[in-house]
Amino acid sequence: MKKMRRMAGVVAWGWAVAALSQTAMEEEDLALAYGDKSFVSIATGTRQLLRKAPSTSTVITAEDIAAMGASTLSEVLETVPGLHVSRNTLQNSYTPTYGMRGILTDTSPHVLMMMNGVPRTSVYLGNPDEQRVELPVENVARIEIIRGPGSAIYGADAFAGTINVITKTAGDINGTSTGLRAGSFNTWDTWLQHGSKSGEMEISAFIKLGTTDGQRRTVRADFQSGLDAAVGTTASRAPGPVNLGYDSIDGQVDVGYNKLRLRAGYTLRDNLGTGVGIGGALDPAGRVRSERFTGDLSWTDPAFARDFGLTLQAAYMQLANRITTPLRVFPAGASFVAQGGSAFPSGMIGAPDKWERQLRLSAAGVYTGFSDHRLRLGFGHDETEIYKTAERKNFTLLFGAPTALAGGLTPVSGADLFLAPHRRHVDYLYVQDEWSFARDWTLTGGLRYDRYSDFGGTTNPRLALVWEARHDLTAKLMYGTAFRAPSFIEQYATGNPIALGNPALAPEKIQTFEGSFTWQARHDLQTTLSLFRHRISDLIGQSGMTYLNTGRQNGSGGEFELVWDATTAVRLIGHYAYQKNIDQTTKHDAGFAPHHHLYARADWRFAAGWAVSGQLNYVADRNRPFGDTRPQIPDYTSVDFTLRTDQAKHGWDFSASIRNAFDADIREPSKLSSGITFDLPMPRRSFWLQARYSL
Amino acid sequence: MTTPYRRRLFWPLLLAGVVGHSHGAAVPGGGIAGDRPGANAVLGRSAGDAAVSPEDALAERPAFRTAMFVAPANAPLRLAAAGGNPGPIAVFYPDIGEPYRSVFSKIIEGIEERARSRVTSYAVGNNFNTQEVAGELKRQEVRVVIALGRNGLKAASGLDKEFGVVAGGVVSVPEAELKTSAVLSLAPDPALLFARLKSVSPRIQRVFVVYDPRQNGWLVKLARDAARAQGLELVAQEAGDLKVALGIYQNFFAAADPRRDALWLPQDSATVDESTVLPLVLQESWNKGLTVFSSSVAHVKRGVLFALYPNNLELGRNLAASALGVATGSTAPRAILPLRDVHTAFNTRTSSHLGLGLSPSLLQGFDLLFPEQ
Repeated sequence: MKKMRRMAGVVAWGWAVAALSQTAMEEEDLALAYGDKSFVSIATGTRQLLRKAPSTSTVITAEDIAAMGASTLSEVLETVPGLHVSRNTLQNSYTPTYGMRGILTDTSPHVLMMMNGVPRTSVYLGNPDEQRVELPVENVARIEIIRGPGSAIYGADAFAGTINVITKTAGDINGTSTGLRAGSFNTWDTWLQHGSKSGEMEISAFIKLGTTDGQRRTVRADFQSGLDAAVGTTASRAPGPVNLGYDSIDGQVDVGYNKLRLRAGYTLRDNLGTGVGIGGALDPAGRVRSERFTGDLSWTDPAFARDFGLTLQAAYMQLANRITTPLRVFPAGASFVAQGGSAFPSGMIGAPDKWERQLRLSAAGVYTGFSDHRLRLGFGHDETEIYKTAERKNFTLLFGAPTALAGGLTPVSGADLFLAPHRRHVDYLYVQDEWSFARDWTLTGGLRYDRYSDFGGTTNPRLALVWEARHDLTAKLMYGTAFRAPSFIEQYATGNPIALGNPALAPEKIQTFEGSFTWQARHDLQTTLSLFRHRISDLIGQSGMTYLNTGRQNGSGGEFELVWDATTAVRLIGHYAYQKNIDQTTKHDAGFAPHHHLYARADWRFAAGWAVSGQLNYVADRNRPFGDTRPQIPDYTSVDFTLRTDQAKHGWDFSASIRNAFDADIREPSKLSSGITFDLPMPRRSFWLQARYSL
Repeated sequence: MTTPYRRRLFWPLLLAGVVGHSHGAAVPGGGIAGDRPGANAVLGRSAGDAAVSPEDALAERPAFRTAMFVAPANAPLRLAAAGGNPGPIAVFYPDIGEPYRSVFSKIIEGIEERARSRVTSYAVGNNFNTQEVAGELKRQEVRVVIALGRNGLKAASGLDKEFGVVAGGVVSVPEAELKTSAVLSLAPDPALLFARLKSVSPRIQRVFVVYDPRQNGWLVKLARDAARAQGLELVAQEAGDLKVALGIYQNFFAAADPRRDALWLPQDSATVDESTVLPLVLQESWNKGLTVFSSSVAHVKRGVLFALYPNNLELGRNLAASALGVATGSTAPRAILPLRDVHTAFNTRTSSHLGLGLSPSLLQGFDLLFPEQ
């Protein structure tokens, strides 16, 4: 019997080996024509985009996203060299913030995020989203991340870096599919996606519905805990869970016909929990709704005239951020009597709403009529406006300490309103020349002028020298400046005498030197080393009663990246990033951002149709800013695993992930002034299952 | 009608499909192609374009001789007698994981588009039983099978002689399984390669290639004619293994003239490999400013000037056209055909280094550009 079992084992082994070798031979054959597994998706995919300017950049594809087991843009961006995703420390809402090369502030207005080349920036805080809009990735074809300044091409806010999310077109989807994801925190997502072509017409559409309770980790102490201790009240809801639930709808339509392309998008986040509360005090009751419509129409003719390609675009955005259940800025029982204010037996309640719209018109051309030159030029006009604001609240801050309004929760106006409607026009013009002045040497020079209706003009240059030193080595030397436009809150905030807007603000400025070397060390190993040094001036901060251009910050560091196709079935990707940023006013570390960031991922196709990926993320040495004497923010190492079947063109595919598999206690920094002493707790171990069916 | 695709809705089969096994011969495994309503057959381009006659092809591969002629020799005649209705088409494709699976699904999409008659696809996995499937094909009155990939071809070689077979999605054809009336290879047509070479670098007068005659003898024969037609001189040198090939490459680089010479890297496991030949070729060609082009698209990312690679959809359409030709009796000659349904991948970095100064309109016509950033 034992012998038979052994024989059966040998036969089974032999069968498995034969099957594997058959598959291996088949793949070997196909690799000759299409490239190996890591390449074949390129050879069967859509056309590559031409670069706009030399830069230090990372491209993440849909295949990478699937390997990571990521379901949100934040999870994807955390894997980018030199980028760490943290959380909003202005409103403690857990809205993602993007710290690039150590530039990490409370709402992260220093990184320009674009969707298909159109800025997502809301002028209210100057960042992509005030509210916690975790963008889904099912409809993302690729994400291009540029580190370093990009204002010479992209204008405002391409300061620390640029993130461009490119959505799937008909060619990427090619069919109809539907998916369902379930996971920890009672999270459910379902989506439908379609892409098809008929003659010159192509159409793609995506709709996704989701709901989640969000993780519920405990906040041990909040702002109200401190107040309670000071005045002897017991109002705080801490210790208590963070409130991160929401319902979501995401939709995108993309229609292309000949040279025309029309895109429309819809994003809704409803019943948004308040994180740790807008005042740093846990608020389980408050609910927020964020609704965004976008649309853009573009016309592109690469051969508009001899040696001249032209693109015209009009883009529109409408954003409404409304409070659907008034926010408990401080909970029931909070009292400011000791500070000369009022007691709030029902809580200090507020509900600020704002409505924003933007129109962006642009023209861009590429002229190649001069030998060895590639000339890019463009101009445009943007109109951005917060056209309506409203606020109900039961308190006023105009007398110093919070004081109850006689009528309870009432609409307010004038000086009591958080912000009056404002409008901004921008006209801009840019030119860039890519000059191949000698064999293997290219010098790119660019200049952009922006004229803002509120703060005036700003000019930003960009220079890049690229040397194709050897067949396997490219060296780049780059210099550029960039600016960040002040947000409307920084310019025009009212209602709070200790945080008043300042219409005289100038933009923040950065000057960056970069060097980068890309070396194909072996046929299966590519490495990149990037080094940077930047100087930031006119940093906007709250000083006394209002916002002022006071700060200066210097930073330096670098990133080392590695991609190794270890075998035909195993790919290893990793990077290490280091940064050091010093606040020049205090000569102290700028704080918040990690000095060391290490990331590694292994993708292993262990059997036909199956792949497993593991990723490790080490975030270390995050200092407190000047004046914050709390112990350093704890380092963490998170490990995620994803097991998946291949994404099928037809039929089912599945994915299962464990995120933070070893249950690390991950925390993102809070500000000392928030009173959230023990920082913002991030999710513990979580489990995710996904099934997708394609017609 | 229950299509193979719909059958997968049943969970047991669904799970089986996911783990990549076919459940017996009667169950088409992959479901990457569905049924299509019947319509008139459409014939594609002449299969005689740039074809090597079987005699020519096999003269250099003696072991192929028997296999090539024995099996299907009388099949087209018998099929012709069946009349002009081509009937349904069966496709055998390898039950292979992504990302290569997408290659075959795209080819099958092209087959379905062109066939306009019912197309049933069978994933050839470990449990594939050719005899059982043959019985099913007979019941469905299938007369022609399109065999994709090595495994598809191997499975089709076990079919009775009454089935016509058209093969595609293979680079080289294993001799034991060569039982086809026409093989549309994945090796790009030298005529197209040379035409592209002339369009991007008109100064080139001579093309060198190192090849294993067992793998690429048939293609080099075509290449000689193609070179002549473009006014190029083809210097083709044989090598049976990498060691010999390396020596030839070294001699080539020692003597080559960058103003008029170019090197072609064929799909050839004996003369081109990733870890020894390609690094040498890339380094030497860069240093000497020599033009190198390839039949493998991945080489372009590494630094080769350009490559042609399969347009899978169009390849599928042409396979369907050939299959319809076989099914209706107006068959294509038995031959190995090079790939003519191609895209172009191009390396702009290498192009700059070579000082080619190509117009943007020419670049616009390419399907893949490297480097990406």
